[in-house]
Parts: sequence; C-alpha cells; structure tokens
Amino acid sequence: MAISSQRSSDGSRSYSLYLIPGTIGFILIVLIPQLANLGLSFTAWKGVGTPRPVGLQNYHRLLTDDQFWGSMYHTLLFIVSMTVIPVCIGLVLAALLFDYVRDQFGEWVSSFFRAGFYLPQILPVTVAGVLWGWILNPVGVINITLKAIGLDNLAQNWIGDATYALAAVSLVIVWIQVGYCLVVFMAGLSRIDPSLYEAAELDGANWWSRLVTITIPLLAPEIFVVVLTTLIAALKVFAPIFVITAGGPDNATLVPSYLTYYHFFTTQRVGYAAAIAVVQTTLTIALAVIFLRFQSQQESKE
Amino acid sequence: MKRIARLALALGTAMLMTSVGHAEQKTFKIWWFEEPTTAQGIVWKKALEEFKTKHPDINVSFEQKTFQQLQASGGMILNSDQAPDVLEYNKGNATAGLVASQGLLTNLDDYVKKEGWDKILNEGDFVLSRYDEKGIYGSGPVWGVSVFGEYVSCFYNIDMFEKAGLKPPTTLEEWVADMEAFKQKGLTPLALGAIDTSGQHLLASLAYTKADDAWVQNYQGLKAPLDGAPYLYAAQTLLDWVKKGYINKDSTGMKDPDAALLFTSGKAPMYVSGTWNLGTFASTIKDFEWGQFVIPTPKYSVGSTGNLWVVPKGSKNPDLAAEWISLTLSPKYQAELGNAGGVPIAADLSVITNPIGKNAAAVFKQISDKNGLGFYPDWPVPGYYDVLNQKDTGLFQGSLTAEQFVEQIKQVYDDTQENQ
Repeated sequence: MAISSQRSSDGSRSYSLYLIPGTIGFILIVLIPQLANLGLSFTAWKGVGTPRPVGLQNYHRLLTDDQFWGSMYHTLLFIVSMTVIPVCIGLVLAALLFDYVRDQFGEWVSSFFRAGFYLPQILPVTVAGVLWGWILNPVGVINITLKAIGLDNLAQNWIGDATYALAAVSLVIVWIQVGYCLVVFMAGLSRIDPSLYEAAELDGANWWSRLVTITIPLLAPEIFVVVLTTLIAALKVFAPIFVITAGGPDNATLVPSYLTYYHFFTTQRVGYAAAIAVVQTTLTIALAVIFLRFQSQQESKE
Repeated sequence: MKRIARLALALGTAMLMTSVGHAEQKTFKIWWFEEPTTAQGIVWKKALEEFKTKHPDINVSFEQKTFQQLQASGGMILNSDQAPDVLEYNKGNATAGLVASQGLLTNLDDYVKKEGWDKILNEGDFVLSRYDEKGIYGSGPVWGVSVFGEYVSCFYNIDMFEKAGLKPPTTLEEWVADMEAFKQKGLTPLALGAIDTSGQHLLASLAYTKADDAWVQNYQGLKAPLDGAPYLYAAQTLLDWVKKGYINKDSTGMKDPDAALLFTSGKAPMYVSGTWNLGTFASTIKDFEWGQFVIPTPKYSVGSTGNLWVVPKGSKNPDLAAEWISLTLSPKYQAELGNAGGVPIAADLSVITNPIGKNAAAVFKQISDKNGLGFYPDWPVPGYYDVLNQKDTGLFQGSLTAEQFVEQIKQVYDDTQENQ
C-alpha cells in the first residue's frame, strides 16, 4: 500500500509540472490584470497620473446609471440571439445535414453546407460588421432589393431606428454564431451509433422524432459546451456592436462591454469603467459556475 | 583550427565595431497618425526625407500610428519610456490638455521665441497650444504647435447648382431656399451621416448661428452651466429640415462615408463635413465640379487649428524636435501643404497653385483672422463626442424632442462643469 501511494503521489507531482506554464500564463494574463482592475474600480482615475481612492462611489453610481441598466437589459436580449436561437438553428441544421442531406445528396454536399455555415466564424468580426453595415444601411443592398421587387413598404432604416436596430444586430450575430454550433453538433453526431437511427427508422420514427428522441439526448454534452461558451460570448459581446452601431441609435444597442470601453477611453472615468467590468466579470463567472454545477449534476445522475 | 580561430576573431571584432557604431549613432523618433494619402501625410513624408538628409549622422526613425491608437493609449505611451522624440497629438482639454497637466510634455515656451514661431503664427493660432495646470486650453505655457488648419463647411455640387439655376448661399435664408429648390425637384438636398461626426457638426454650425462670443467662450471653456438656447434653435431647425425633406430621416442609419458617397456619386447636391475630406474628394470626384461654402453664421465656424506637434517630457532630443517642427512650419512645406490640397496655417497664398488648397487656405485665413474658430462641439466634456452622436440620432429618428435633446446633453455638460 505504501508503495502504491508513493507512486501515485509521484505521478501527480510529475503531472503537475505540466500545469506550470498554464498557471503562469493564467496568473500573468488573467489573474493580475483582474485584480488590478478590481483595485481600480475603487478609484477615480483619468488613465494617467495617480488614481484617487473613492471607496464604493463607482458602484454606487452604477446603481443609478440608466445607461448601465439599459445595457444589462440588452445583454439579456443578446443571450437570445447569441445562444438560444443559434443553438436551436444549429441543432436542426446539424441533424438535417447529418441525417438527411448526407444520405440523400452525399457527403460532399453536406460538407459544402457545413463549410458555408462555418464561414462567418472564420471571417474577422470587424470585416463582417463593416459588410453588414453596408448591407443594412438605408441605401444598402437589403433596401435596394426590397425596393427593386416592389416591396418599398418593407424597406426600413435597419440600424438607424431604435425599433429595428437591436433585431438587425441580432440577425448579424445569429449569422455569425450558427456555424460554430453546427460544426460542434455535427462532430458530436458522428460519434452516435448509426444503428440507433436505423432501428428507429425501421420502427417508423420520422425525422422529427429521431431528432427529439435520439439526437438531442445523445448530444447533451455538446449542447452543454456550446450553450456555456455562447452564453459567455453573449455576456461580453462587443465587436459587432462597436463596428455596426457604436451602441446607437440613442443607446438602443448599448452593451456593458461597449460602456466599459466608452468610459475607459473617452470619458476618462477609468475607475467607473473598471467597476462595470467587475460586475460583468462576476456575473459571467457566476453563470458559468452555476452552469457547470448543473452539468456535472446531470452527468452524475446518468 | 587556427583558421577558425582567426575567423572567429574577425567576426567578433566586426560585431563589436557594429555595436559600437550603433551605440554612437543617435536615434531620433517621429510619430504621426495622418494617413499617407492625406495632404499632411504626403508633405510630412517629403519633409522627413529632407530632415534625414540634413542629419546623416542621426538614425531618424518614423512610425505611422493611427488616430485611434493615440486616442486610446496616448497617455500611457507618453508616460512610458517608449515615447518618441516628437509626435502628432490631438488637441483639446481631454487629450493634449490632460497629458500636459500631468507633466508628460515638454514646455515649448523657450522654443517659441528661439525658433521664431511667434513670428509665423498669431496668438489665435496658439490658443489650442496653451494649457493651464488643470489642462484647460487658452492660457498657460505652449505645449504643442499646430502647422495646419481645419474647418467644417458645406461641400456642394457646382454642376447641380448651375443646372438648377442656384448660387451658393451667403445667408441661412438663402441656404434654406436652395434646399427647398432641390426638394421641389425631388432630390434630398443634404446628405448626412448621423451616426458619425457630420450630424454633430451640422448641429453645432446651426447653434453657432445664434452664438455670441460669451456663449462660445463659456461653452468651450466649461465656464458655466450650458445655456441651451443656441442648441435648442439648432435642434428645432434640424427637426424642421427633416420634416420638410431637406435631410433624410434615415440618416440615422448612415455613417459619414455612406453620406459622403451620396455626395461624391452625384446623388446629393450638398454634404456638410470637414476639410479632411479635401484630398479624397479631389481624387474621387471625376464627373462633376465641386466646391465648398462656409456655413452662413455671424462669426463662428466649426473648426480649429490642426493637431499639435508635441515633445514628450522624456524626449532625449528636444532641440531636434523643435527643428522638425520648424521645418514643417517653413514657407516651403506650408506651400507644399496647400499644393497637396491641404489647409496650411501660415502659407503665402500667392505661391499655392492647387485651387483646392488655395481656396481652403484662404477660407481658413478668413475664419482665423476674425477669430472665428468656434472649435468642435464635443471638446468641453470628455466623452461628449459619443453623447452628441447618440442624442443626435435620437433627435433625428424622433425618439427625442428638441427640448428633450437639449435637456439630455445639458445634463452631461452641467455634470462635468460642476465636477471639474
């Protein structure tokens, strides 16, 4: 017994060596800046000079800042467009490509569509954002097309009118996100035993029942991962907003990350920006922890 | 073995000599963020070559930066040992004023006399060079020098005006009449990008039609709570223009380049923006004649002396930095700036042959001579640029009334004014 415990502790010691580079990286790139940010959130600082301690003043200000609460509300809506909708569309598309298109039209056609849906993920967000800015602006492709086919009434000021701006930006985000969900789900589907589908088909199960009874339950691990990663992405969404609407019109698409950026670089309220970032990070970590707990509970039940 | 040893010795000596050589050669670093295609970018590049030829013993190193880079992290760079010897920096309380008040720049007062800059520039040209200990412009030592000017005007399509039998306006009433005439022909007269700067520039230009000296000084100097009357007039006028179809309501979905495209492609007869468009318009507009008229105000125009050459506190070569500034301010490069289509601050107009640069330099001189530079509307308050853009779009899209608009921008202004 003594020998085996020695071995196992030697083993874990040698394995722990592998963790050193990652740990150093984490401490330098994540932990120290986060602690510095936390420290700054209790100060008033213009970005140069010496920060002046102000206690909880920045957090107090947060509570009454309409811009901040507006941005938090928009985050909830972005969770829908970055997580809920892409995951649902991704699931249906993955099952369709894997289970139907591949069988009917062959592997090549299925791969072609998969690559096509994944393309927006490869494109830098800024490039995609500028392109969509052109497409969605009042003299952009969408309105030109609608007017050309006589649907003038449907032409809108997509990104310049508060009624549509959030939906328009969400559309771009869904377009970007679907590919990520689809590729992960298709990879997951390839490990499901095909005989399950064959048996279900022989029993007369249609495509929808196969999706609900086989695909979704067996893809649960992938769904968890995708939901968690897209949820985190939704909580810190910045680039599409920055490029397409700059938080406008009249703050209709403002999100916490953009508000942080705004205060950090333009109003010189670095301490206040740090406080927003602290709240945002805390929320993200809390959600991630809850989610991972839930996932491990589910796994232990199985 | 002997041969290898000899080779190693030779290599070693060579390396040692090179490193000694490098150590002896002084390095002089210059940064600017003007794009290479702009008048400043073109002319300063030429000046840089001359500077290098004059100083063969110095390693002159130039780095192209972006406006955003310096806007976002200029203070941190100036606070580090990575700062260059001389760099272009954005003027204003929140930028040059802030870093000057934090002791990050070299006081240039002695050089003003020594290099004779006070003979070339008038006191008005130095207004944005001076910052007090709080970082407020207008008084205190000279912390930077501008060698060019800029102003907002209305670009217009001369062909469309002539075809419609119209003349560029000299009063606000004439301007409205011109717009009405185009509207009657089924055209939207004024292209506007309300997401970007042109919305707030038009708004401020209209506010300046109702502004006197005291208002401008109080507003830009954060000297009193905001007197909203000129802005209320401007907002009401803009709403009226949107209602009458002089400006498209959908401008809220357009950025400056989208609106500029409507003008450069001949779809809109007018576009309000700054002289920074001159170079691009000169090279892209081929199908029609174009010109610019100053927005008819009693005195003030949106505009300012250009960005500043500043010398960081840590510069090891302030004398060379001053020499560089003098070079770009010399008659030769001032004339070159005008000939490249830019707005020189102190050029002899008779030697400028490019009609675009000649006109721009003349207009700038006219505004500057009557002390009519009203500056930009976002200057007094850090972050006001975004506030004005956001609230402009609210006004244009109808979610804010003119009164609400003024109330909301006043709130942010007064907050800063009170807490300065």
